[in-house]
Amino acid sequence: MIKTYALRTWTFLKSLRLTIVLLSLLMALVVLCTLAQVEMGTAGAVNAYMRSFIVWRQFAALPFPIPIFPGAALVGLFLTINLAGRTLELQRTWAKAGLWLVHVGLVVLFAGEFVAGMMQVDTNLSIEVGQTVNYVQSYKNTELAVIDVTDPTWDEVYSVPDTALAKGGAIAIQGTPITLNVKRYFANAELSNLPPGAPPSLATAGVGTGVAVVERPLVSADNEMNQASVFVEPVASGHSYGVWLASVAMGAPQAFTHEGRTYTLAMRLRRQYLPYAFTLKQFRHDVYPGTDIPKNFSSLVQVVNPSRSESREVLIYMNQPLRYEGKTFYQASFGKNDTLSILSVVENPGWLLPYVSCVLVALGLLVHFAIVLRRSLKRRQGQKGA
Amino acid sequence: MPIPSIPSHHSRFSPLPTSLLALTGLLGLGCRSDQVMHYRVPKEAVATHPDHPGHAEEGMPAQAPSGADLPQPPTPTAKGALKWSLPKGWSELPGEGMRFATLKTPISGRLEATVVVLPGPAGGELANVNRWRGQIGLPPLDEPGLAKSRVALKTKAGAVNVYDFTSEGQAKSRMVTGYISTPDGNTWFLKMTGDAAPVAKAKPDFMTLLGSLHLD
Repeated sequence: MIKTYALRTWTFLKSLRLTIVLLSLLMALVVLCTLAQVEMGTAGAVNAYMRSFIVWRQFAALPFPIPIFPGAALVGLFLTINLAGRTLELQRTWAKAGLWLVHVGLVVLFAGEFVAGMMQVDTNLSIEVGQTVNYVQSYKNTELAVIDVTDPTWDEVYSVPDTALAKGGAIAIQGTPITLNVKRYFANAELSNLPPGAPPSLATAGVGTGVAVVERPLVSADNEMNQASVFVEPVASGHSYGVWLASVAMGAPQAFTHEGRTYTLAMRLRRQYLPYAFTLKQFRHDVYPGTDIPKNFSSLVQVVNPSRSESREVLIYMNQPLRYEGKTFYQASFGKNDTLSILSVVENPGWLLPYVSCVLVALGLLVHFAIVLRRSLKRRQGQKGA
Repeated sequence: MPIPSIPSHHSRFSPLPTSLLALTGLLGLGCRSDQVMHYRVPKEAVATHPDHPGHAEEGMPAQAPSGADLPQPPTPTAKGALKWSLPKGWSELPGEGMRFATLKTPISGRLEATVVVLPGPAGGELANVNRWRGQIGLPPLDEPGLAKSRVALKTKAGAVNVYDFTSEGQAKSRMVTGYISTPDGNTWFLKMTGDAAPVAKAKPDFMTLLGSLHLD
């Protein structure tokens, strides 16, 4: 009974009808995702439609979101299974070698997209001419940076990710005597000066004592930014330093001193520090003569990596990224009157898979063509001989 | 795309456990760590990137004093607040967020005038001026450089320190700012920034506005 059921399921999973349904769903998802970008921004729409197993929608009449469509991750998973099933059905003969290669190539392509969806990390590196930067920062994720700034040369940076703050409770900062008690976390909030007569702020220390914080719905559009904010109480050696407000909307760190060591608190975009540094030597923004139409953007950077005893100049320009230590640095944007260059940084462990897939598919088609051609020529020769 | 193939019923491949395993693995990979990370990094030469998302456009000092010395935030509507007279054609909108007011000028082009009030010294004059210079891509100044750039303007509210900076580069930005501390302990920033041409046009009116500053 179970065997019959499993066999039926497997027959369904590898059926050509399912292939067509899944491809149709993928096409529909591409259209829906494109339309959703207007409202949700590129990253928001891609995450909601292409990198999720289920597409959820929040309707005003309902208190909770409901599933409205299968996400591309789910469709892709079924398509991979379907493709694998169809591949296994191919005859294991040399005559089908080309088709095997094509199918395997397609499976690799889908696997590559899965790896990208689950493991790709998108960050950026913003650097001004003459500046040296040794970190990349997230576009959306934030962190509460607790920084021991006592040493005149070094900063000890303790990064508390927003996901930990969202859970609340007490967060021990290992390596310091400090424990942070998260009083309240806002994934997005609006800050304003506390009007006279308003209820007092949760903060009892720092600038936050005079700031009103109002929770706001999350935003995902490209030009919008969630103003993550948190009320935290640093406690060290049993002594409370009051409740502080840290927010992405506040540009400056605030500080307290414990046993001669000064710690700053700042909510900011999440950083990943690198074991190497980039110095921007020159940024070029060339335009076609007599117009404002961009012709070229390029950043000349000095890459210094002490662990490799390396110091070399690299020119990063449009369609010519730098691949370095598992990261790819693309020329993405600029600002500050052409003195600031913004590099988009992509870390995708599966970046090679689409290339492997293309080679396999191309090779498979060539092999299949050669086999069919050979068979056809043989048949013709046979006909001539007869 | 799968190519139609000859059906076969001899496969021993068991897809369900394999795909469940793959799915579990991929979901596991998608999880992000909630752990506190530690880095030891050299001190940064330039503190902020105000053009990036996530940084306040205006309002906060680059370095704050230590906690025990932090003054209370301002109550700008209370007695002792700074007042000004608007030049002809200018209008004022109440501020949003941490901004006290936004000033609209009749001049077209990329131009913005804002008023921000912060408690206490708000990180100090040098830090704030260098932060503004950083916003238009200029290098930081030292104390003697700051004194050279400063023009003191006498008003009924006290002396206003005025700074006028123009960036380098293909499209020049300009920034004119007034910096004044009021007797209630607050620090006020009146800042006009934008493309060099419209800022130059609006500067005489902005200077008139700064000259009109008085206490409530």
